[in-house]
Amino acid sequence: MARILDKLIPSTAQRAIKLRQSHDWIKTELAELSGVYEEKKQKALDKFVVKANRRLSSAAYAACDKTELANNVMEKRLQEYDVHKYLSYRAANHKAAKAIFKAIKAGEDWSGALDAMRSEIDKIKSDRLAFVNKLEARKNASIAKGGSSDPTAYNALRTQLEAEYDSLSRSIDEKHAQIIEKKRKALKQKLDEVSLRIQENRAKGGNAICLSDDVLLSVKGLKMYFGGLKAVDDLTFDVKKGEIFGLIGPNGAGKTTVFNCITRFYDATGGDMYFENKYGEIVDLRNYKVHDIILQGISRTFQNIELVKEVSVMENLLVAGTRAYRSGLLVHALGLPLLKKEEKIMRQKAMRILRFMGLESYASWLAFGLPYGILKKVEIARALMADARLIIMDEPAAGLNDSETAELTETIRKIRDEFGVTILLVEHDMSLVMNVCDTVCAISFGQMLAIGTTEEIQKNKAVQEAYLGVKEDE
Amino acid sequence: MNKFLSEKYALPDKNAAKSDKLTNGLRNLLKSPLAQTIVFVIIMAVIGQLAVEKVLPYSWASAFATTFSYAIAAVGFCLLMGYSGLASLGTGGFIGIGTYSVYYVMAESGLPFLLAVLVAIIIAIVIGAIVGFISLRIEGIYLVILTLGLSEILRNLYMVLEDKISFTKNPVILGFTITRQFSLYIVLIFLAIVMIVTSNIINSPTGRAMLAMKNSTAAAQAMGISLMKYRLLAFIICTVYASLSGTMLMLVVRNAMASQGTGFYALITSLNILAAVIIGGYKSIWGAVFGSFVMYGLQTVVLNNIKFLAENPVIITFVSGILVIIVVMFYPGGLAQLVLELRAKAKGLRTKMREAKYGKDLG
Amino acid sequence: MAYFLNTIFGSIVPMCITALVTMAITIIFKTSFTTNFAQGVISAFGAYVVASGLNSLGLSLWISLPLGMLASMIIAVAVDVLIFRNGRYVNALGKQIITMGLISLVVGAIPLIFGLSDPAFKSFITGDIKITLSDGSYATVTKNSLVCLGLAASVIVVIFVLLRFSKWGLSVRATASNEYVAGMMGINTHVVTAVSWGLAGALGALAATINASSGTVIGGYFMTNYQVYAFLAGILGGFSTFHGPVIAALMIPLANNLVQYIVNVAGKPELTGWSMVIVYAVALVIIFFRPQGIFGKKIARKV
Repeated sequence: MARILDKLIPSTAQRAIKLRQSHDWIKTELAELSGVYEEKKQKALDKFVVKANRRLSSAAYAACDKTELANNVMEKRLQEYDVHKYLSYRAANHKAAKAIFKAIKAGEDWSGALDAMRSEIDKIKSDRLAFVNKLEARKNASIAKGGSSDPTAYNALRTQLEAEYDSLSRSIDEKHAQIIEKKRKALKQKLDEVSLRIQENRAKGGNAICLSDDVLLSVKGLKMYFGGLKAVDDLTFDVKKGEIFGLIGPNGAGKTTVFNCITRFYDATGGDMYFENKYGEIVDLRNYKVHDIILQGISRTFQNIELVKEVSVMENLLVAGTRAYRSGLLVHALGLPLLKKEEKIMRQKAMRILRFMGLESYASWLAFGLPYGILKKVEIARALMADARLIIMDEPAAGLNDSETAELTETIRKIRDEFGVTILLVEHDMSLVMNVCDTVCAISFGQMLAIGTTEEIQKNKAVQEAYLGVKEDE
Repeated sequence: MNKFLSEKYALPDKNAAKSDKLTNGLRNLLKSPLAQTIVFVIIMAVIGQLAVEKVLPYSWASAFATTFSYAIAAVGFCLLMGYSGLASLGTGGFIGIGTYSVYYVMAESGLPFLLAVLVAIIIAIVIGAIVGFISLRIEGIYLVILTLGLSEILRNLYMVLEDKISFTKNPVILGFTITRQFSLYIVLIFLAIVMIVTSNIINSPTGRAMLAMKNSTAAAQAMGISLMKYRLLAFIICTVYASLSGTMLMLVVRNAMASQGTGFYALITSLNILAAVIIGGYKSIWGAVFGSFVMYGLQTVVLNNIKFLAENPVIITFVSGILVIIVVMFYPGGLAQLVLELRAKAKGLRTKMREAKYGKDLG
Repeated sequence: MAYFLNTIFGSIVPMCITALVTMAITIIFKTSFTTNFAQGVISAFGAYVVASGLNSLGLSLWISLPLGMLASMIIAVAVDVLIFRNGRYVNALGKQIITMGLISLVVGAIPLIFGLSDPAFKSFITGDIKITLSDGSYATVTKNSLVCLGLAASVIVVIFVLLRFSKWGLSVRATASNEYVAGMMGINTHVVTAVSWGLAGALGALAATINASSGTVIGGYFMTNYQVYAFLAGILGGFSTFHGPVIAALMIPLANNLVQYIVNVAGKPELTGWSMVIVYAVALVIIFFRPQGIFGKKIARKV
């Protein structure tokens, strides 16, 4: 009942969510502003080029060398003729071949068929010769008619058009720069307002939890029991801002369970998880539902690829942006222009991310049937789409070959540097973990073995016994 | 930068570009669902009028009206099954919401027809929300049987309320008196609205969210998609459409009986709607409309014209059963897939004919 | 008291029918992983064969009953062998739709084979047993319903014994738990599913015969009601076991009659029509709170 009332009367929490949504949207709009106008400019310029070419065509005719033009024309016509007549050649050959086979089968003399074919081909050849002659005559006539070639007009017009093109480009740039500046200003103002209101709301709410400044995610005493099975038992670790944090452990150590607890797929039996969200507040993740985690700034990839197979790669990215849209069902159902505007901006953003991941050529491909390596990349791109602060990767290298893993290492670093996100990953591939991670946490049977830099972990006796030691024995 | 025409290839080609632009524009226009739907509705309205004028067989008018009434429910089912990955066998019961709303609001109380439609929609929203809530706990075949149970509850409720309902007075909508012949146009208008709204939803973020939910609930939730919101939404839309379909059926048929084993609310209706969507191709709105035609209109419009079948009407049931089985066995994508395959086959055939005439292209 | 006994006696036949149909649907669900929507019409087909044995050939009910069961069995096995195994791409949903197509096919075929008129039927045995109570009133039970009870109970008990102790039962249970693994372990799952379908068809025909023998007019759809009960019983009892659905199947018709009894005793006979609504609603509420069914086990899923 309370929940229904919540829906009817927007509570403070609800208002806060709305505020945040608009905050995020304004940020997205700001980020994509120049991209949207770049596209607009390109369209305008393309239009201009089409028109300009129409204007230029008669001058170009006057300017060109008539002999050359006539040669060109003849060449082109002859090409067309050959393509057209190619089928006749084939038909003649085919017919003859059939007749010859038939004759051989029947034990008859087949030279007649061969002769028929030869004569047919001769006819085709003579036809072609006649056509060539005709073209030649026409060409000669047009050369004779000639007329001087005068490139001055063409060159003048061309320079003029080029100048026009440049000036148009410049004027559009200027105009757009103004508009963008204006819009940016307005958006920034709006953003500040919204941020201020978020701040006010927060001040009202108060904030009891404290984390040290450089910690992004703090997991304290996490417990997850399935009946009698202690999948995770009293696990404590901190993830610092901007680092790549690796979680390793043998099979069944409870790594994925930790992930599922953080992303709220499982309701942890005990323990606390604090996270500094997108808006700089420290929140207790246990207060959020699984589908609201993404709004706090945590997005994840899956061990087995979980993309929508029946839509394009681009649309898969847009799925991750579902919560960013501010338009409601009514707008969607009626197909109002607001939705189109939002779609444009979101597509721009998705395209930017795809370009970053080197996937732009796959944008319109169906996810169904793309190679595994590409799909893994699409999953990472999808996780980037949510403007997350923390990206959780569940075995990103599983199923990849060595070169793809090496590429992935680069990609993970690039993502961290470019988007300023923190990355938490579970991985079996030791080379990847040791190459890319800043801090590694090793767990076994749900309990912490060691935490530290890669060197420390490699030297740690307990880890070697539980994990690496087994490998050496084999 | 080679953006401008070079002097060497100064062959003016103005007309080609112009005509290309025109045809492209027209083609793009015809590709929009709005235009397609409007063209379809106009064609169907003309056919209906011709049937009323007895240029075409008279029975066609009512056959089309019934078909398109059911098609409204089928479109909703298409959204539910093809895009949200949920299934229900409650369509029959939900249709009853519409018929009884019309009966109680319009035929009994004498209020306007559109008010009855509104009441039907509101009740359907409530019931759809209930089913949606149930779907959060119960999934798959269990949900299907549960909706079947719900539909049976509704049917028993209808039997208790008023077993046989009918009305004789023609309703008046915006000053037009809707006779039974005229009802086809009302049905078509509602069908067009439903189709356009549905295709808008499918191509919007909402539709994508539903597809994500269908593919993997875990991934969808991680992407911020609330299962509750979209499951509720899918069931509400499906129920509202079914209920609308009921109001339209009442307008077309004018009477209904709840205790009848083959009536509107029986299991057989739910199964037929499901079959219609499967036959048409469960991800295609046009498929759903065509599928309902196969289930409800084919008999009157096509099969009755075949002399042998017209003399043995029971064979038609038999044949339609075989048709459903064959489609599912060999074309799981429904007729939408069949169309695609036929297109590919036609292309292959053309190549073969060319090869027969000119020989194989060896490079 | 007499009225109460009459209510109980009146529930015997519906309980038998529902239990048999539920058994059939459960066996198919567990081996083919689909709900057989055509169970009702396949059963009805069997009843038609029995009726034509009675009317055209003049056989006794005891001889034509096996014929009807055989006919239904053949149809059911044909569905599995000819249709399910030959589809280019048949998944669980596809199988369901195929069984829906079968409804039209069989309903269309019945008048083609047996003619359009409703065939006459007769009981296994005629006559009533009167039980006089201490207060002088008496309750009646038809002998036919007792025969039906005996038939249904013995068949169900035999099936449970087979499931529990025979090799066939073991293969069915193995197939039910995982078809693929069962196949790897050397169980011929094709035979298991075909036999299950055949058994389901025979059970359906028996149920339809019991229904017809107690006075219901035969028609293409005359078993549909019981089929709906059976589906509901399946999830109410929980499809994960064999006994759960059958027990639930016994409860549904009984509960329906008991609600009617209570309503009548309470002096509100006009509410009798609501009995089914109440039973369904209670069943749905139970299912909502125990989605795995009353007797079912909850299967944990890994994310």
